[in-house]
Amino acid sequence: MWYRSASFILDNRQQNVAALAPDTLSISPPGGTTRTSMADTFQNPNPNPVISAYYQTRAAHHGVITSDWLAQAQAATDQNSDPNAISASDVRVSDPDKPFSVIDEFNDWRKQPDLAEAVAAIRALAAVIRSSKATTMMELEIELKKASDSLKSWDETSISLTAGCDLFMRYVTRTAALEYEDFNSAKSRLIERAEKFGEISYKARKVIAMLAQDFIFDGCTILVHGYSRVVLEVLKLAAQNKKLFRVFCTEGRPDRSGLRLSNELAKLDIPVKLLIDSAVAYTMDEVDMVFVGADGVVESGGIINMMGTYQTALVAHSMNKPVYVAAESYKFARLYPLDQKDLAPAPIPIEFGVPVPSKVEIERSARDYTPPQYLTLLFTDLGVLTPSVVSDELIQLYL
Amino acid sequence: MPDVQPLVNGFLSQLKKRKIEGSQATAKQTAEVLRSVISQQRLPHTNQAGALIDAVRAVGEQLIAANPVEIAVGNIVRRVLHIIREEDLSLATDAIAGLGISAGSDDEDDVEQDDHPVLSAAAVAAAARSTLRPPSLQTLLEDMPDSAAVPHTSSSGGESEGKSRSADKGSRGRKLKHDVIEAVNDLIQDISTCHEQIAEQAVEHIHHNEVILTLGSSRTVLEFLCAAKEKKRSFRVFVVEGAPRYQGHVLAKDLAARGLQATVITDSAVFAMISRVNMVIVGAHAVMANGGVIAPVGLNMVALAAQRHAVPFVVLAGSHKLCPLYPHNPEVLLNELRSPSELLDFGEFSDCLDSASGAGSLHVVNPAFDYVPPKLVSLFITDTGGHNPSYMYRLIADYYSADDLVVKGRTTAGS
Repeated sequence: MWYRSASFILDNRQQNVAALAPDTLSISPPGGTTRTSMADTFQNPNPNPVISAYYQTRAAHHGVITSDWLAQAQAATDQNSDPNAISASDVRVSDPDKPFSVIDEFNDWRKQPDLAEAVAAIRALAAVIRSSKATTMMELEIELKKASDSLKSWDETSISLTAGCDLFMRYVTRTAALEYEDFNSAKSRLIERAEKFGEISYKARKVIAMLAQDFIFDGCTILVHGYSRVVLEVLKLAAQNKKLFRVFCTEGRPDRSGLRLSNELAKLDIPVKLLIDSAVAYTMDEVDMVFVGADGVVESGGIINMMGTYQTALVAHSMNKPVYVAAESYKFARLYPLDQKDLAPAPIPIEFGVPVPSKVEIERSARDYTPPQYLTLLFTDLGVLTPSVVSDELIQLYL
Repeated sequence: MPDVQPLVNGFLSQLKKRKIEGSQATAKQTAEVLRSVISQQRLPHTNQAGALIDAVRAVGEQLIAANPVEIAVGNIVRRVLHIIREEDLSLATDAIAGLGISAGSDDEDDVEQDDHPVLSAAAVAAAARSTLRPPSLQTLLEDMPDSAAVPHTSSSGGESEGKSRSADKGSRGRKLKHDVIEAVNDLIQDISTCHEQIAEQAVEHIHHNEVILTLGSSRTVLEFLCAAKEKKRSFRVFVVEGAPRYQGHVLAKDLAARGLQATVITDSAVFAMISRVNMVIVGAHAVMANGGVIAPVGLNMVALAAQRHAVPFVVLAGSHKLCPLYPHNPEVLLNELRSPSELLDFGEFSDCLDSASGAGSLHVVNPAFDYVPPKLVSLFITDTGGHNPSYMYRLIADYYSADDLVVKGRTTAGS
């Protein structure tokens, strides 16, 4: 591989591919458009789908997509569910009477547009607890571990899913409060916490919106890239507080989530201007601050977010504009990407409007990594943090 | 409370008239005023910590409003509030520990109540511990259902204590007050000895034959340099005079009196000289939560020059200068415009300064402070050691509790 990096993450992934499907090892560098996603999924038995389910869901919730692509995406997800049923079977073994799959459960929750990914993950794990026939804490833990592993391997591109599973597992295995109680009350307590997590997530957004208010001043211009519920919440609250500001929205190709955001902002009577993604540098001198959400916050303090965040941050940095990230703390993930290629790619279908010749390669990744030196501050429910705090929090939690 | 009012008012008017300036002096005096507020405050039987916090907050709000530029005042108010919370918590956990032991000893009497209070006591302790801790990922899942119960754990702990052992009531109140005053005394002690603590580290940073550059006059810097001199380091100091107050002259004189080689340069000569400098050591007015520094005017220029030539830019700051707010916060008044008389002689320029007559409209702006962004600072030296700018949040989490960040907003919202 010409882009072979030092990181073991990538190597691991390649080893997995080798172990699972020796015949598909000779995957050429991502093929052209001729390689249809469906065919590929069909051949490829590994649980890592060719189309990133996470970004597919995001696009479905936040994006503006033409109908034929939506149909194709639907077909792709349907195809995916086949190998997944197999990977979920180990969970089913423990519960032979009633077939139950975490992944189905998770997908049910995931379909709700208002629900954050991590919330869906934790709800799915709660369902595992509920259907479990374990009689000791240890058994339950093992069962949960299996479920969370299969969930994580089902969609490796979703950082919130992984982080949500890890957070919940950490709570189950290491919480002192559970030691005082007998098994049944501990179990019901776990379920209760899992149910409450949706509320936590909702509250986190409110806290972030409150914290960010100090940073939005009258007459400022805010550039927003991509659609983020947190950022929308921040802007909504600022508008409610009678702050006068205007927003530049990037278009957010390929799912065009910026269109959706501009639509929401226009409903709130916030002056909003839509830019094509390549106009970021052109408009940057008018901009006072850049606001982005995050799919995941990694240990270095950098963020993984929708494609284009990195270049937006670079432009802002070179023009000395602050880049603010709004992200809930449960998106903190134990990853340390060294460069862009260090992450498992999360390919999504990209439409160019015209047929692309088969010899032309297409970059399909849905996300990029923005290193911490280009970020000014992170607004999280833990407070306003500098990027270096993130690793501190993660170490406190997992060490 | 009425007994301390004259004291508070006296300090308020001193602050307002700018009779008392400088972060160390204001910090120390604030701590002393708050100490007498605490010692005069009469405590109710329940929720004593709450009463103390309210009293300190009320006075603190006035003090901050009197001179918002002196950020150290607000810092000390927050520190004292944090101290009260901490002492209350340690008393509560002590009481719980006592409760557990006593419950264990006389378990024949109340068997049915026995295991229940121990469990709840542990839960209360855990909840109370989490109130002081800043929110973290660790407590994200744990705290949620308890969050409603957390604010009045201290009061409910006090109540149950009061009911069960009525004789304890008075003594516990006195104990809390005593502990808090003791801790505030420690704080005052810390503020007055911070120079020595910082100066102790001088030998680690200043080496033989080095050239140091500093701007204006700071007692911390003076002590720091002298401490290195006492350890037989020989080095040269460039003192930037620091217009318009020219405090650099005072510093240069002091340094020369103590046998150090000092060279005075003008503010405009900084860039010319910086290439010969090994290290820039300066004092600060305040250090913000993001690691940015509010410093005497002219320092940003020095920091930029230092960055251009990759000269380490070291900031000395006592822990009372650590401010838990961000410079974007509107509550932080970053700058103060001083009298134009420091710049221009009134007699000579009185004609053109008189804008009322319309004859001339010469304006003089004399800002007192600069903001140096965190990326220009190489190292902070505080009384606890050397720290990276990005580490400041950690120190702040140790010194302040998250509830106290907004002293003013909370009280106005409440009243």
